[in-house]
Amino acid sequence: MIRYFLNIIKGIISLCEGLGVTLKHVFRKPITLQYPEQKPDLALRFRGRLVMPLDSEKNDNRCTACMMCAKVCPNASIMEIEKVVEDGKPKPKAKKYIYNLGTCIFCNLCVEVCPFAAIVMSDDFATADYNKDNLIIDLVAEKYQISGKKANWWKSKFKEEITKEQKVNG
Amino acid sequence: MELIKELLFNTDKKLAEFYLWAKNLWLSFGLHPVFLDIIIQLLVVIAVAAFLVFNALFIIYYDRKVAAKFQVRYGPNRVGYKGILQTVADTIKLLIKEDINPDKVDKVIFVLAPFLVFIPAFMVFLVIPFGKGLIPADLNIGILYVLAITGLSVIGILSAGWASNNKYSLIGGLRSAAQIVSYEIPMVLAILAILILAGSLKMGDIVNAQSSISKWFIFLQPVGFLIFLIAGNAEINRAPFDLPEAESELVSGFITEYSALKFAFFFLAEYTNLFLTSAIATTLFLGGWQGPFLPSFVWFIIKVYLVVTFLMWIRWTFPRIRVDQLMEFSWKYLIPIAFLNLIITAIVVKIV
Repeated sequence: MIRYFLNIIKGIISLCEGLGVTLKHVFRKPITLQYPEQKPDLALRFRGRLVMPLDSEKNDNRCTACMMCAKVCPNASIMEIEKVVEDGKPKPKAKKYIYNLGTCIFCNLCVEVCPFAAIVMSDDFATADYNKDNLIIDLVAEKYQISGKKANWWKSKFKEEITKEQKVNG
Repeated sequence: MELIKELLFNTDKKLAEFYLWAKNLWLSFGLHPVFLDIIIQLLVVIAVAAFLVFNALFIIYYDRKVAAKFQVRYGPNRVGYKGILQTVADTIKLLIKEDINPDKVDKVIFVLAPFLVFIPAFMVFLVIPFGKGLIPADLNIGILYVLAITGLSVIGILSAGWASNNKYSLIGGLRSAAQIVSYEIPMVLAILAILILAGSLKMGDIVNAQSSISKWFIFLQPVGFLIFLIAGNAEINRAPFDLPEAESELVSGFITEYSALKFAFFFLAEYTNLFLTSAIATTLFLGGWQGPFLPSFVWFIIKVYLVVTFLMWIRWTFPRIRVDQLMEFSWKYLIPIAFLNLIITAIVVKIV
């Protein structure tokens, strides 16, 4: 009999505790990200689609068409790199850089292997398309403008390398 | 301005005057007064039905917003200002969807069931006092009528479960029947204590008996109020008593096979029932439409929405209980406590 009433009292107390916990949640600010209006704050090393950003100092990309990225690419997503030809001689400069987003696995190997930091994984993650052909992109012709904190991070990458080279030489 | 003020604060007198005026006009045309009454009652029915539909539209939106608040998110916020038209869009979508009748259902009962669930909920509004003089019909047996009619909705749920010819639906319907039968008893016992205090079954008299805040029956009957809320929550099959439509075990219970308009009717019935239980709790325990400064029906709506919010708070706090716990809770805890409450109330009323 005593246990019966104790049960009731215990039950009421624990129910009130539960109500208190949910009541606390009512006064918290919602944590939902209103996606199309608010963009998520992505990490610096976030791997979105591959891009070849324009270097604002040279007003051109930094690619020398050395083919390192195409060789390291595990499933040949970097399909074709063509050098600029002047006076019948190939120059260290890409005329065409065909990248297949459809087969890319975002492994970052091409970016790691690039000696001039010419390519980088961007923040662009909304890459769905209705047409497969639109996924095959010429990165040189695209002339991607990098911006935001990713841009600073990318610039620091090759500036550092330059200073390192100078240090080695000097 | 004067007229509006009179209309808002002395609704009962104005309505009586209007009825007299209409009756005289009607008689001057040489027509039988019965037809006037029929027309006025029809207008009242249409008004209540329209109120219920718009109220359901709002209450669903309100439920989703409150649910979002409890889960630390925003809730619907795309359609209209802060998502206020979300339920309108949902309703339109439901109405233009294909109405599917599965092959092996019991056609007649299958089609009738959603209406059998909604109509009792709608009928009870006959005796709900929305405000001063704003009661469709103040029956002598008001609260008895409420209990009798709310018990009918189980037939609709049971026939929906049976006619669907689906094991989940059938189990949902049977659970609902068991649940409503066992929670009807503590509910009635809680109401009986109120009736001892008010001395009448008439809704108008029960409201008038709570003329000031100190006389509200929630302060005289706090245990009765809790028992009524718990039993009422169980009767309308809302969490934590939503066993008839427990998603994790029964898909969607008796609603599983329903789509489009019929589904919309079940939804409408569910939220009408929520409003109904809160309205009865307000009338019986929170002084009905009585309150200072504001017009009577505004007070009524405010109080009802407070109770609705409380029920939603309960819904988003407690997990669903098991079937055996459900039965045990009703028969071993609620009914003895309700009996004790009733006996103590009777003795105290006799002594004082």
